Amino acid sequence: MTERTAVIVGGNRIPFVKAGGAYAQASSIAMLSAALDGLVARFGLAGTTIGEVVAGAVLKHSRDINLTREAVLGSALSPHTPACDLQQACGTGLEAVIYAANKIRLGQADTAIAGGVDSASDAPIVVGEGLRRALLRANRSRTLPQRLAALSSLRPADLMPVPPAVVEPRTGLSMGESQALTNARWEISREAQDELALTSHQRLADAWDSGFFDDLVTPYLKVTRDGLLRPDTTLEKLAKLKPVFGGAHGTMTAGNSTALTDGAAVVLLADRGYADAHHWPALASVVDAQVAATDYVTGEEDLLLAPTRALPVLLERQGMTLADFDVIEIHEAFAGTVLATLAAWEKSGLGTVDRAKLNVLGSSLAAGHPFAATGGRIVATTAKRLHQCGPGSRGLISICAAGGIGVVAILEGC
Amino acid sequence: MAEVLYPDLPAGGPLLLRSLVRVGGRPRRVSALPPTVVRVRGHRQDVARLARYDEVCGYTLRDAVSPTWIHVLTFGLQLALMSQRDFPFGLAGLVHVSNDMTLLAPIHVADPLDLSVRASGLAPHRRGATFDLLGEAQVDGQVVWQGRSTYLARGVAVPGEPEPRMRAKDPGVRDSQAWRLPADLGRRYAAVSGDVNPIHLSALAARAFGFPSMIVHGMWTHARALAALEGRLGTTYRVAVDFTKPIPLPGRVGFAAQEDGDGIRFAVRSRSGTACLLGDVTHP
Amino acid sequence: MSLVENLFHSSLGKKVAAKVGLPESPTLRRGRVGPLGEILLAELPGGGVVAATLAAIGVTPGVPLRDTPDSRTPDEKGRPQPPRYERRPGALVIDATGVRTIAALEDLRQVLRPIMKRLERSGRVIVVATDARDVNGLEAKAVAQGIDGINRTVAKELREGATANLIVVRADAQPGDLASTLSFLLQGRSAFVDGQTWRVAPCKPGDTVDADYDPARPFAGRIVVVTGAARGIGAAIAATFARDGAGIVVVDIPAAGDALAAVANDLRGSALQLDITAPDAGERIAAHVAQVHGPHARIWAIVHNAGITRDRLLANLDEAQWGAVLHVNLGAEIAMNEVLLTDRPGGGGLGERSRIVGIASTSGVAGNKGQTNYAASKAGVMGLVWAESAALADRPTTINAVAPGFIETDMTAAIPFVQREVFRRTNSLSQGGLPVDVAETIAYLCDPASGGVDGQVVRVCGQNLVGA
Repeated sequence: MTERTAVIVGGNRIPFVKAGGAYAQASSIAMLSAALDGLVARFGLAGTTIGEVVAGAVLKHSRDINLTREAVLGSALSPHTPACDLQQACGTGLEAVIYAANKIRLGQADTAIAGGVDSASDAPIVVGEGLRRALLRANRSRTLPQRLAALSSLRPADLMPVPPAVVEPRTGLSMGESQALTNARWEISREAQDELALTSHQRLADAWDSGFFDDLVTPYLKVTRDGLLRPDTTLEKLAKLKPVFGGAHGTMTAGNSTALTDGAAVVLLADRGYADAHHWPALASVVDAQVAATDYVTGEEDLLLAPTRALPVLLERQGMTLADFDVIEIHEAFAGTVLATLAAWEKSGLGTVDRAKLNVLGSSLAAGHPFAATGGRIVATTAKRLHQCGPGSRGLISICAAGGIGVVAILEGC
Repeated sequence: MAEVLYPDLPAGGPLLLRSLVRVGGRPRRVSALPPTVVRVRGHRQDVARLARYDEVCGYTLRDAVSPTWIHVLTFGLQLALMSQRDFPFGLAGLVHVSNDMTLLAPIHVADPLDLSVRASGLAPHRRGATFDLLGEAQVDGQVVWQGRSTYLARGVAVPGEPEPRMRAKDPGVRDSQAWRLPADLGRRYAAVSGDVNPIHLSALAARAFGFPSMIVHGMWTHARALAALEGRLGTTYRVAVDFTKPIPLPGRVGFAAQEDGDGIRFAVRSRSGTACLLGDVTHP
Repeated sequence: MSLVENLFHSSLGKKVAAKVGLPESPTLRRGRVGPLGEILLAELPGGGVVAATLAAIGVTPGVPLRDTPDSRTPDEKGRPQPPRYERRPGALVIDATGVRTIAALEDLRQVLRPIMKRLERSGRVIVVATDARDVNGLEAKAVAQGIDGINRTVAKELREGATANLIVVRADAQPGDLASTLSFLLQGRSAFVDGQTWRVAPCKPGDTVDADYDPARPFAGRIVVVTGAARGIGAAIAATFARDGAGIVVVDIPAAGDALAAVANDLRGSALQLDITAPDAGERIAAHVAQVHGPHARIWAIVHNAGITRDRLLANLDEAQWGAVLHVNLGAEIAMNEVLLTDRPGGGGLGERSRIVGIASTSGVAGNKGQTNYAASKAGVMGLVWAESAALADRPTTINAVAPGFIETDMTAAIPFVQREVFRRTNSLSQGGLPVDVAETIAYLCDPASGGVDGQVVRVCGQNLVGA
């Protein structure tokens, strides 16, 4: 078999909005379908069959058991397009791109769409344990008296619904509380976090104003721009916000932490040869990727710094250093995450990141962070940026995820 | 040595409640503990109960069971022993102050267990007297688990002077976990452990026994801490804990652990940082 | 619908409306559907091209009745009546290409009189005459204009959705040049085109139809770009071209991207989110076409449908509202044409043989209160059509425009009811047009067989009184 290269052809997402906002009534399937439809329209793919669509969601309803396939069936793609659900917390979107790229490289697909969706508005609410067990018992019962007996064991408290936990099951700490520990350990200041947040908003606003997202975003439900973006925020405004994590003296605020967000993003990939034959643009190729995890449960490592473990492996394998990259994208779960990641990379001898190359088009603090959708957003943005930089330009993407997982990937501009 | 053999594990609830209401008739001054051994042979573990126990405590349900689970199985025997007419202490007012268990060999859920409990180690304490309930589990004649539960009987005098005890040390690191303890945790743990002491079940009852609010079972806290260390324990080990402060329900506590050459030291702390449980895991 | 509107459309309301003189709106025949009744051809002396054209499009015409003194019969009161058609004819086509004298106009009267009250619903009167530039002598030139007056008046007197239109042909126009026009006028596609006059000339060299041309799917294998296509008339234009076989590229501003994507996917086309006032708009359209259809693909037709209004009385109009309308409606079109007409290395521009259509407006023809900026831009589009068709004289590319009158869209739905009802009714068909009526006319102008229609502005207004 000849050498195959997986290239990113384009991307599409719907504008991201704050949870409980404009997409409050939209299901994950609906949002993913909308993102797919925009991509399909951009490339004139209506009615065509794509090799495979792979996507996922972090907050998933039991009815979304086949989320991606359902979204495909709701989209303008041919119903013969197969699909696969994949889930790796906030790494879902990037991991989906890696999955798709690997299949393309192995010749198992010529084309693929990868991405993710999340709705923090429409998060699944589960029934309490007591009710659940009673219902299961009633379901197993053979006779009516047995069934009634099963249900009569219910107490009023059993009927209270249980919202999804946003804490790490093994530490009981929320993301923010975990990041607060990391910030303390790496001595990340409030000022540095606020500055990073401000830069994110300014850069994303500039990118929108310059039309960078004209061919990367399709409006949805009357929303035409990212709803969390605050182009007019200032350091003064950010400095006034009260800490939300890390206690009264904490440094983390609603301004330098990502908010719960709704949104969906997808990326179109193809084999280089296929893309050339079909006149599709090749924005960037997927060079390599690495996933790693930290031992955060013991408290000895940081929940969101797994990219620090993944990156050395990747750079070693590719014979690269941080200086080799023209574009560096570090997912802004929190401003502190980015700053701690930079500090950790520096400490582990990987070198210093040129801040002028970092998140140049804004990132999650300004755009928002619909967990599984973030990877698709970053990949599409990076690929387009690398295409602008020209052939041979290199981009590094780093995404931290719940469970102490980190995914890093290298793209090369075409 | 007197031996009381039970056909299977005695139910804890009735024994406990009966013992709690039986206040009078116990001596205020105690000089010795009866040599009775209470025993059950060939106990078959209940998988459904184990599953519920593991869930309440945060363990992963697996074939190899935890030492705290064996403790729970012996709890009925502890109550049975303390319910004997010649046992000098009533249950009301007893405080579980420390626990020390050794898992000598892995125990599987399919293993039939020979379980026994006896009393020992009567000692003076500055607030009364302490004694140990020594448990043992055997599989096929081999001792696989040993447990020592130390109880404090307040206001009881025993001969001699209190001796300073070695207490578990704080791990000295920041909390790495936070646990939210729901109000019904005591009731849920009581249902799986058989320890239906009212101070864990309702705020009203707890106040009747002199606590400002419900408190969680010390052995739940112990089990939850061990569950947090799952994967780092090895197949055999010794775990010792001191219950230093009751944890009110509902509530929130932090967990910290630090591994060093000797083993793992861990602590469960209140939000203000006071240690509620200190413990260590060692590999003898 | 407003309360007033509901009342108006109730049966009681309709009776009241009839009493006060508002006519009932006839339902128009639409689509690629010919007349039900017979198609009659009145070939006046000196004609001939129409008979050949009808033969080419497969129509075998009948002979019309003529109103002469000896053909009349008295009615019950003894008044002489013109000869009466037993069955209502579907269309009357008059070949007046040989009419040069005032006396010869009598022939038109003779064939028209019997048909005026007998033409079927949505019937057609089509007059074909010779361009005044190609006739000699004062009388002949005056008569040529006289026919225009006849056409406009006949259109106003016809009832029940019937229309009249005049086609002026250059002397050397061939039946092949006229075929697409006659076919369009006879079919329901021209439903809302009434009382209009436009010219058909011989097509330019290289603009003849290919052997595989299928008049039922004239755009098969051709790429058509429609701007402002997310909704309304633009979406209808895209749908009409898709029906007729075109590969569709729809363009609209990024903020309308969701509706645009739905249009593109529905038509199996592709979408380009683009603000057409961007300096590189033309390049980006070409690049998109090359990307979706390949570097060798060329645009067959571009329809400059995108347009905005910023209505203010001139007394209240600032430079921003002024400039935006002129930029979007006129400036962008000029700029994009220039880029797309130039062959670019990456491909994707307009083909050597191609079609350009702009959107003018009755406001541009006649002016409209509160629309100085809009009228300027739309009159400018007409000026552009005339100038650019002259500039493209040596290239088999045509440029035309349509001028819609009152068309029922989201935009017009926002007009207050009474005002809207007046707009609707002040035309010869007593109703507003539909987006598809504009679309069908544009598709006709872009037809590969319409090479002879160049530099024309065709009004799709039901012969609106405004600017008539």
